[in-house]
Amino acid sequence: METVITLLIVLAVLIVPGVLLYNRLVRKRNAFKNAFAQIDVQLKRRHDLIPNLVETVQGYMAHERETLTAVIEARNNAEQVRQQTSGAAGDPASMEQLGKAEGSLGGVLGRLFALSEAYPDLKANENFRSLQEELTSTENRVAYARQAYNDAAMRYNNVVETVPSNIIAGMFNFARAGMLEFEDREAMQEPPKVQFS
Amino acid sequence: MSSNGFFNFAEAQAQARRRTMVLVALFLLLTVTIAAAVGALGGLLLGGADDQLVQQQHATGPEASDRSLLERFDPATAVVVGLGVMGIILITAAVRGALLGGDGARVAQSMGGTEITHDTTNPAKRQLYNVVEEMAIAANLPMPRVFVIKHEQGINAFAAGNSPETAAIGMTHGALATLNRQELKGVVAHEFAHIANGDMRLNLRVMAMIFGLVALSVAGRMAMRTVFIGGGRRDQRVVMAAMAIGVALLVLGALGVLAGRLLQAAISRRREYLADATAVEFTREPEGLANALKKIGALQEAEHLNNAHGEEVRHMLFAEAVSRRSPGLMATHPPLVERIRALDPAFNPDDDPVWRKPQKEMMRERRRELRGDTA
Repeated sequence: METVITLLIVLAVLIVPGVLLYNRLVRKRNAFKNAFAQIDVQLKRRHDLIPNLVETVQGYMAHERETLTAVIEARNNAEQVRQQTSGAAGDPASMEQLGKAEGSLGGVLGRLFALSEAYPDLKANENFRSLQEELTSTENRVAYARQAYNDAAMRYNNVVETVPSNIIAGMFNFARAGMLEFEDREAMQEPPKVQFS
Repeated sequence: MSSNGFFNFAEAQAQARRRTMVLVALFLLLTVTIAAAVGALGGLLLGGADDQLVQQQHATGPEASDRSLLERFDPATAVVVGLGVMGIILITAAVRGALLGGDGARVAQSMGGTEITHDTTNPAKRQLYNVVEEMAIAANLPMPRVFVIKHEQGINAFAAGNSPETAAIGMTHGALATLNRQELKGVVAHEFAHIANGDMRLNLRVMAMIFGLVALSVAGRMAMRTVFIGGGRRDQRVVMAAMAIGVALLVLGALGVLAGRLLQAAISRRREYLADATAVEFTREPEGLANALKKIGALQEAEHLNNAHGEEVRHMLFAEAVSRRSPGLMATHPPLVERIRALDPAFNPDDDPVWRKPQKEMMRERRRELRGDTA
């Protein structure tokens, strides 16, 4: 009888903290997945704006066909990667792939906007200006959503890797979440240049 | 603040939070002290008076008045009176709080704000709406309703509403016409910081407590009036006791209100530093906020908010509004120069290009920005 009680006590002492740690891991995982969903929404918005932008710009920048093609290509590639990775929040390989695709899109977009400086007619176009504002805003949103995702992923990783929760994480396959970094970070953080001081 | 010249928002936030705690504790101590003081007086005067009433009915001897004050002290009455005073303060505060609380959009509308929505085509308003959405993501808060105070030329902004769900952010027309995108973002982030830090709720509670202290003064006046009206029929000593307590309530209530207002202003100033620090956490760029503050400094006269509702939202504003000549102790916002220095330690008003810039120039640059012109 006594051994049964002892056994029960030992089990309770092990199981209760185990359940608590498990729940904590699930909460942190949900948090970073939710943060990733926000990035996905903003990236989609970004990709949806680009065909409009190219449409508007085409008439003015006929000589920059190469750049425009590069923008379209980078956009299509990024959209494809986004669709592939949208369910794979935190998977390190997917995050890296997404980061690369978005980074190169940011790079060519930056080039396009730099070139647009030489076309005053284009810059006077109301449609172009509003698209520029929408893109600037979307870039910012992506950046802030990425910041939130990386913070959430780091908090999750801290739980996955520290004692004692790492034991539970190992038992139930809680893998480390990958950070999302955009390769062309300069172009991401300093998107289309619209502010002059 | 860190010594290496970088703005350390985490450290600044921790400091502001600690100082708020001290101030809130002082505020609670203030109300408890007032309640205890009135309670003690009640124990001294009322307890004795009851005894005397009984004694006088039996034998009108001189011994009653010979008893020393301390002997007449009645602890039970003191506790009852003290708790009663506490009750008056807390109940009035709760009622007042419930009346004041609620919807940020209503406050914004009462200030003459027009709402802007996601389908606005005006470039400046569109930009403001976008900036608010960006900051909602950065702060991880729901999207508040956005208002522009049309006829207000000064640079200012406010957040209203008791919870993130009912919050509204308002921006003056002057801010929209003078600040560039980055600066707008700094200001909006500051307002989001007030929402995230629960400053509207904190201030509401402090205001409600002050109202409770006002009610104490009113109760004191009522007590005195009752004594005057019904005085003739009562024993002289009871009348005197009630008078004394009435006066005490009146005076302590008034002193409490004064002290409460000083504490409220001090708490508000701390929360401004905290909101500045939190804003930088959201935007990760102190320049926007610092430049917005510099522009306000440059056109000090612009920060006058000509609005009767100023009082209720004054602490929620981006910069001091009611009177910039108000004495330092009553100011709800820290001095601009101090706030800028916290963000930009190298700031010197005498040779700062933004601080020195004329308003016309700022507005011209802003129009150029909205037009997409390079300088």
